[in-house]
Amino acid sequence: MKKQPKPRVAFFDFTDCEGCQLQIANMGTTLLELTQLVDIVKFREIMSEEAEDYDIAIIEGAISTDNDVKRIKKIREKAKVLITLGACAAIGGVNGIKNRTSLEIAKQRVYGDMAGSINTINAMPVHKVVNVDYIINGCPVYLPEVISVFKCLLMGKPYVVPNYPVCAECKMNENVCRYEKDEECLGPVTRAGCNSWCINNGNKCYGCRGLLENPPIDAAKDILLKYGLTLEEVLGRFTLYNDSMGEKYDKEFK
Amino acid sequence: MKYAVIKKEDLNLWVKHLMKKAKLYAPKRKENLFVFRQVKDASEICLSYIPTILPPKKYYFPQKEKLLKFNINPFLTSKAIEGFEDFILFAVHTCDIAGIQCMDVVFRDGPEDPNYLNRKDKMTIIGIECLQYCDEHANCVSMGNHVPRGGYDLMMIELSEKFILHINSEKGEKLVSSLDYIKEADEKDMISLERLREAKKKMFKEEFSGSLPEIYEVFDKRFNSSVWKDIAKQCVACGNCTAVCPTCYCFDVIDEVELSLNKGTRYRMWNSCLMDDFAKVAGGEDFRKGRDARQRHRYYRKFKYPVDKFNRYFCTGCGRCTRSCMAGIKLVETVNSLLKEP
Amino acid sequence: MIDREILLEKLKISPYKPIKAKIIQAYMLTDKEKFLRIELERKINLGHEPGQFVMVSIFGFTEAPISICSSPTDKGFFDLTVRNAGVLTNKLHQMEKGDTLGIRGPFGKGFPVDNMFGYDLLIVAGGLGIVPLRSLIRYIIHNRNDFGNVQLLLGCKTPQELLFKKEIKEWLKRAEVNVNCTVDKADSEWQGNVGLITTLIPGVDINPARTYAVVVGPPIMYKFVIVKLLEKKIPDYQIIVSLERRMRCGLGKCGHCQIEGVYVCQSGPVFTYADLKNFKGECHEKTA
Repeated sequence: MKKQPKPRVAFFDFTDCEGCQLQIANMGTTLLELTQLVDIVKFREIMSEEAEDYDIAIIEGAISTDNDVKRIKKIREKAKVLITLGACAAIGGVNGIKNRTSLEIAKQRVYGDMAGSINTINAMPVHKVVNVDYIINGCPVYLPEVISVFKCLLMGKPYVVPNYPVCAECKMNENVCRYEKDEECLGPVTRAGCNSWCINNGNKCYGCRGLLENPPIDAAKDILLKYGLTLEEVLGRFTLYNDSMGEKYDKEFK
Repeated sequence: MKYAVIKKEDLNLWVKHLMKKAKLYAPKRKENLFVFRQVKDASEICLSYIPTILPPKKYYFPQKEKLLKFNINPFLTSKAIEGFEDFILFAVHTCDIAGIQCMDVVFRDGPEDPNYLNRKDKMTIIGIECLQYCDEHANCVSMGNHVPRGGYDLMMIELSEKFILHINSEKGEKLVSSLDYIKEADEKDMISLERLREAKKKMFKEEFSGSLPEIYEVFDKRFNSSVWKDIAKQCVACGNCTAVCPTCYCFDVIDEVELSLNKGTRYRMWNSCLMDDFAKVAGGEDFRKGRDARQRHRYYRKFKYPVDKFNRYFCTGCGRCTRSCMAGIKLVETVNSLLKEP
Repeated sequence: MIDREILLEKLKISPYKPIKAKIIQAYMLTDKEKFLRIELERKINLGHEPGQFVMVSIFGFTEAPISICSSPTDKGFFDLTVRNAGVLTNKLHQMEKGDTLGIRGPFGKGFPVDNMFGYDLLIVAGGLGIVPLRSLIRYIIHNRNDFGNVQLLLGCKTPQELLFKKEIKEWLKRAEVNVNCTVDKADSEWQGNVGLITTLIPGVDINPARTYAVVVGPPIMYKFVIVKLLEKKIPDYQIIVSLERRMRCGLGKCGHCQIEGVYVCQSGPVFTYADLKNFKGECHEKTA
């Protein structure tokens, strides 16, 4: 193979908890293997050096201030490839909860007296502001998927996020269905790709990977209602992670 | 020897003997359900169980199966699996044995599938006959699979203090011969077996309101039935029903490369005809749109298409699709409402 | 045929194992379609029928079904023409002469050329439909005396999208095939017809009992073309179509290409209209 200079990777965070970057920092030897293929030039969780030039920008976090908008646009200009890392960047994530109320009320709730000096806008996933080349879903990201995305990137092919529900993976893992135990679970309407990570470990699906492209909302609603949830509760479950993209689901539900 | 007997108290001894011969997969409890797992001790095995979450197909048609290993540059391919391992499936229900027979037909049909046939070659099947219904979702009687109909090496039938073993193959014979605690069945045993089968007849009743030929005919006529639309309204397209079906064998082909970006493995992975992209081509055309058409396709792949192609119904009556459907789509109800339609 | 035996021997190892092949020619035919000439290792002849397809394999990018567009009478190589539409075809578009790829196949049932001997042919190609049909037309040209009059009706969106322009001119010049072309949208240089391909059918002069019609094009085209052919009184079993489906294994197993109970990768992609009539409602190409 031709020897090419390794692409330079920089990590950036916006409105998030930096937990997805932490996942990557905790990758262990695989991270070392990955550095055979790419140069990490900016990643504040693991290094103090910071380079200004990069080829691949990895973005964690949602866009939620005017400043964020300016900053992400600048990064996009510079980066050849832009990857969103985690639910906040991919679908807005939990940050979207603030979009449920007016910005004034949200500011008041969080900052009280200081609310007046806070600049904030509705939380948005990165792709609402700039073009995104690769999306890595999840809260936090699922490491095998992160590695798959890197491989796709380096091979020059798109990464296709599965457009089938988590159930498909969950059944292959032979888990006892949460519904079987009279618990609700967002698996049926959430995009797979996480290998039903949460359910494998005894939890349920919270829908952190975002809803399917063509979610069978009516049927899903029937099921959730059958298991004793009210419409508000159902909406609440659906929108924990998906609120910033909520219009679509509001429309489907109401 | 055609029929043998083993005392219940000796069962552990025999299981230990089997485990020495090959890997032993048997039904085990998992939370409130059951799964086939490798067992290391007889005490782990649950002989009285409702069909496992996944059928034993995961052992002869694994969820993600290596097809070949490759090297991108230079272009090289090699066998992905060097040797297949011997294994014993223990305490398999007769419905699941019917499932294995269906898969045999599919993968033997030309062009033959070497992966499947190699695995099948290494497989020993020890069945267990159900003496009562597992639950209300099964339709094994209508499918004729509530009693042993071949396809196994040994079949265990529980009598009060012992098991009768029906020896159905040389492979099976080898697993019971020269063991002092397994003896040939005597006349009394055979009479007990006959009585048991008689008693079973009273308990097990046809679940469908029509015979199989009637059902075939109804499927021939009801392609555009409103039943499919009704099911589509309930269906979340989660794919549970296809994953748990012992006779669903659709798959997708995927490549996984190592981080070297040069070596990799090609796999086939279970796939479901209920998924959105299943019949979509690169140009964008989706040749089976809508959950009604997809559910219909699933049913037709049990009651119509395989009958035309292989002269075999591909529903085993295990009831898994109904059991695993969180929306409550019930196979027996679907078939019966098709039969009821004027 | 010795080559066939080598191929079958390879398949016996595993039907999933692709054969190594080399691209010996590669160039863009139009903005969207690339032409690839391919040579199998040891120069084995593919030994296909016109109308069959191969599974093209690029490791890391899986496989895709691609129609063969050369005739079995073109020896030592075979041709593919691919539009950049998916992950694998996108990679194919980046590949050049000398690059290696894998081939499985040929798969499926081709055009029934043996039955067509002595008949006139009315070939209807819409858009990319000319790709698999080129295998048939080249076969006819190489065995020209075995067939009667051959008319080709060719349709595409714009003159720029017309595939195999030079070759078609050659056919016309040598009077081997009568070609009638139409585009949806003409430019200033276009001298042919403008309008849908169906508008060309009523005008063709044929003896329906002695004519095979062969139709390949986008799914939407079939029903309209077939209606016109039936109006021409061509019998059902002399109307031949080739259908596109999502073949993944080519072995009649994986299920993706099924139309009702039929695996297109094995029983197709070529069908007669009489075959299509047996479908109950899953065949998009059937007339209503």
